[in-house]
Amino acid sequence: MSEPKDKTPPAPPRPDVGEPDPVTARALALLERRAPGAVLAHEPGGRHPWLRVGADRLREAARLLRDDPDLALDCCHLISGVDWPETGEMEVLYHLVSYARRPDAAYRRRPLKNDPFVCLRVRVPRDAPEVPTVMDLWTGADWHERETYDLLGIRFTGRKELHRILLPEDWPGHPLRKDWEYPADYHGVPIIPPEGL
Amino acid sequence: MSPGGVRGAAQGPGGLVPGGLYGGGGEPAAVEFHERQELVGRDLRTEEMVFNMGPQHPATHGVLRVVIRTDGEVVRALQPHVGNIHRCCEKIGESVPYYQWLPYVDRMDYLGAMCNEHLACMAIERLAGIEVPERAEYCRVIVAEVQRILSHIFAVGVYGLDLGAFTPFLHQFRERERGLDLLDHLSGGRLLYHYVRIGGVKRDLSPEWLDELRAFLDAVERRLPEYNTLLLHNRIFQDRTAGVGVIDRDTALRWGVTGPSLRAADVDWDCRRDVPYSVYDRFDFEVPHGHSGIAGVVGDCFQRHWVRVREVEESLKIVRQALAGLPEGPVLANLPASLRPPEGEVYVRAENPRGELAAYMVSRGKDTAYRIRCRGPSFSNIAVITEVGEGTLIADLVALIGSLDIVLGEVDR
Repeated sequence: MSEPKDKTPPAPPRPDVGEPDPVTARALALLERRAPGAVLAHEPGGRHPWLRVGADRLREAARLLRDDPDLALDCCHLISGVDWPETGEMEVLYHLVSYARRPDAAYRRRPLKNDPFVCLRVRVPRDAPEVPTVMDLWTGADWHERETYDLLGIRFTGRKELHRILLPEDWPGHPLRKDWEYPADYHGVPIIPPEGL
Repeated sequence: MSPGGVRGAAQGPGGLVPGGLYGGGGEPAAVEFHERQELVGRDLRTEEMVFNMGPQHPATHGVLRVVIRTDGEVVRALQPHVGNIHRCCEKIGESVPYYQWLPYVDRMDYLGAMCNEHLACMAIERLAGIEVPERAEYCRVIVAEVQRILSHIFAVGVYGLDLGAFTPFLHQFRERERGLDLLDHLSGGRLLYHYVRIGGVKRDLSPEWLDELRAFLDAVERRLPEYNTLLLHNRIFQDRTAGVGVIDRDTALRWGVTGPSLRAADVDWDCRRDVPYSVYDRFDFEVPHGHSGIAGVVGDCFQRHWVRVREVEESLKIVRQALAGLPEGPVLANLPASLRPPEGEVYVRAENPRGELAAYMVSRGKDTAYRIRCRGPSFSNIAVITEVGEGTLIADLVALIGSLDIVLGEVDR
């Protein structure tokens, strides 16, 4: 394979990609119709199907998915951040679920036993990780965004002020970044990192 | 002790309460009352006060601090502050091998430890493509449902305690202790079990233990009407909770509220039935939701309490069906000493006693996860009080927080 080297990490192997996931396929079709060009990459099936959008079009895509009566993704279940220092990027994942649409029996019998969800993911540069907020679309995203900021240092823009939620306001750094170092002490209390780290 | 002791002092003339308890004659007291009324209207300064409820408040179920701005007895605005018992569950998960992470999962929701383990093992198994023996799946369902019964009994009893009813709490602790003994005999731990393992469960259910379990189920079933007499059908309890802290369907979904609180808001959804995991699709049970038909309105504290009471009954049904269909066979798959799932990611959700626990995991082929992210249901459930708690009375805020049944260990993880 002699593909041009770009900065995206190698795609994970896909040992169990079966048929495309119907929920994600519907979301992909909707975004391609209503927001052409918003989806940069996608994984149609397997254990964890996803759609990648640019940070600038995240809110547009999220709003379309939420308001579509077919998908009715009325709940933002989880927002997670992942640090990828090799590529100099950070990633935010939005797992969206629907409580209005119950999966049909055929879907539930699929061998992968996937739960129906749509995963939107956004990649941002690691040195200036900024993602627009979705708090006005799903109010519950507020605390998830605060936690992602707290532990990974990803800034969410366009919302009320971001504060740490779990750690103290003066805690040094963001511990879930892969290059985070244990501080020697915190207010005079020595910190002993666990063995093997 | 002379007959004219302390008691006499309060009653006699010149004692602690001169003129008797109710002020003696009616006329002078009435005049004084009118004067006071004028005083309030004219000169009494009123202002809003900001103060802390918690973190050591008995009605916040752990170390939850809520800053409330009050106008008299009414809460005008509130902001919950969490993080007091953050224990880095995700950071630890990214630092230790999969096997070693499991005991930490118990400590997220320490009242639903079996259910936490169940979800964590499911996530790792899907990541690594591990098949679980059928008998182990039944064992998992049995212990998870026993855990749910215990958790709901605790929630219901403690909720009564929050509202000033001490007796139901003690009654329900009798059955809870018995259930904790049951899980103790199985796993060796009272609250934190480490019983569900990757690829199965730690040890098989012995015939003696199953007899013990059946006796426990019968005891709980016999006691349920008693609990309901004390709380659910108690007029004082109904007056205290009906119509209080209403979380409607739209608010619940926007905030990501899950579990009994979501079902009380009339969302007919239970992961065990709608996206069945393990062997839940083999059992027949109802999902209580909406209005109880007893008191109150949809989405209020009373319906949340009622959903939990009903779910105990449904869990009893599930355990009995699992016992009837318990297959023979091994309970633990053969696994390598060092588990290295192939590169990939999973997202798994499961119905915990408090709502939907979910985990997102990334593997890069090492024996340690690259990223583990857990969704604690209480984390989303408690956030909703920011909106719903506005405009309630302080006493009703206690009723609201209690009815959400949060565990701070899971909020802070």
